[in-house]
Amino acid sequence: MKQSKDPFEAAFEEQEDSPPESPADASADARQNPNSSIAAHSSQSQPQDQLQLPHDDNAKKGPSQFTPGSGSGSANASASGSFTATAGAGTGMKSKEEEEEEEEENMDVELGKFPSSGDPDKMAKMQAILSQFTEEQMSRYESFRRAGFQKSNMKRLLASITGTQKISVPMTIVVSGIAKMFVGEVVETARIVMQERKESGPIRPCHLREAYRRLKLEGKIFKRPMSRLFR
Amino acid sequence: MSTAGGGSSSKPRAASSQPSETSSKRKRGVFQKELQHMMYGFGDDPNPLPESVALMEDIIVEYVTELVHKAQDIGSQRGKLSVEDFLYLIRKDLPKLNRCTELLSMNEELKQARKVFESDEEKLRKVFEVDNQLNDE
Repeated sequence: MKQSKDPFEAAFEEQEDSPPESPADASADARQNPNSSIAAHSSQSQPQDQLQLPHDDNAKKGPSQFTPGSGSGSANASASGSFTATAGAGTGMKSKEEEEEEEEENMDVELGKFPSSGDPDKMAKMQAILSQFTEEQMSRYESFRRAGFQKSNMKRLLASITGTQKISVPMTIVVSGIAKMFVGEVVETARIVMQERKESGPIRPCHLREAYRRLKLEGKIFKRPMSRLFR
Repeated sequence: MSTAGGGSSSKPRAASSQPSETSSKRKRGVFQKELQHMMYGFGDDPNPLPESVALMEDIIVEYVTELVHKAQDIGSQRGKLSVEDFLYLIRKDLPKLNRCTELLSMNEELKQARKVFESDEEKLRKVFEVDNQLNDE
C-alpha cells in the first residue's frame, strides 16, 4: 500500500495548475519538480506533488489503473484530496462509478451516461460523494480502481490469439481497459438478475450465464455474423 | 493416450502454433487473482465463488478472442493490427470508447513526463560528476 502520490495524480494536479493545451505544459511543470524530488528521493520523504516516475510498481496492474493515494480503506481528507485529482478525467469512469454507487445504495442500477462537465465540477462532485462513503464502499471502490489485468498475461493472450504478432503496449492497455469494463457490465447485469430472482450472496455461475445471455441480446457481445437469414 | 482437451495442461507453445485451439490448451486461472478483485470492485462478494471466477475468465477470454478476430478482419488490409481497429469496434459503446481514449492519452502523458524526467536525471548526473571532479582537484 503506497503512501506517496502516484504519478497519475501528480501529473493531473500539475495539469490543473497550468491549464495546458498540450503535454508540453505539464512536463514544463514537471521539470521543476523532479529536480528537487531526485534530491529527496534517496530519503523517501513526503513527495506530495512530485512525479515519482520510477515507481513503476505503482502501475503494476497496468498504467490504466489509478491507485488511491492513501493505503488504508478509510476516507480521510488526504484520500479524498488525492481522489479528486484522479477522478476528474473521463466520462466512462464516471458512469461506472455512479452505477456502482447506486447499486450499493438502492440496488437500482441505471446504466446512464453522464456528460463530462468541467473538471472542477466533477472533482467537487466526486469529493462530495467520496467523503460520504462507508468503509465497505470505500474498500470496494478501492478494489474497483486498483484491479486490472496484468499486462504480461494480456500480452501473452493477445499474442496467442493473433498468432505471435508483435503486440504493442497501447494495444494491451486498450484491450485491458475494454475487458475490464466488460467484466463490469457482466457483473452488474448478474446483480440485476439476482435482484429479480430475489437471491443474495455471492454471484453464482447461473447468474453469470443469464447476464451473458442478456448482454448478447442487447448486442454488446461481438459475435461473428454467421447467418443473417432472420434478424 | 494423450488428450489435448480439458484445459488442465498448459501448453503455451502449442497454443501459439494452433491459434484456433488455444481455448482448450490454455492454463486455467491465468486471470484468477485479478478477476477476484475486479469482481468485488464491480459488486460481487468480497470472496467470489471460484467457479464464478473461472466462468468469468472463460467469458473474458472468449470476448477478447472475438474482439481480436473482428479487429483482424477490419485491419487485415493494413496487414497488422493497430489500436484504431479496436477503437473502431467499440465506437458504438460510448463509455468504453471514452475510457479507452482517456487511457491512451494518459499513457502518452506518462511517456512524455518520463522522457523529461530521464533527461533531467541525465543533466543532474552530469552536473554531479563535474562537481565531483572539481572537488577532487
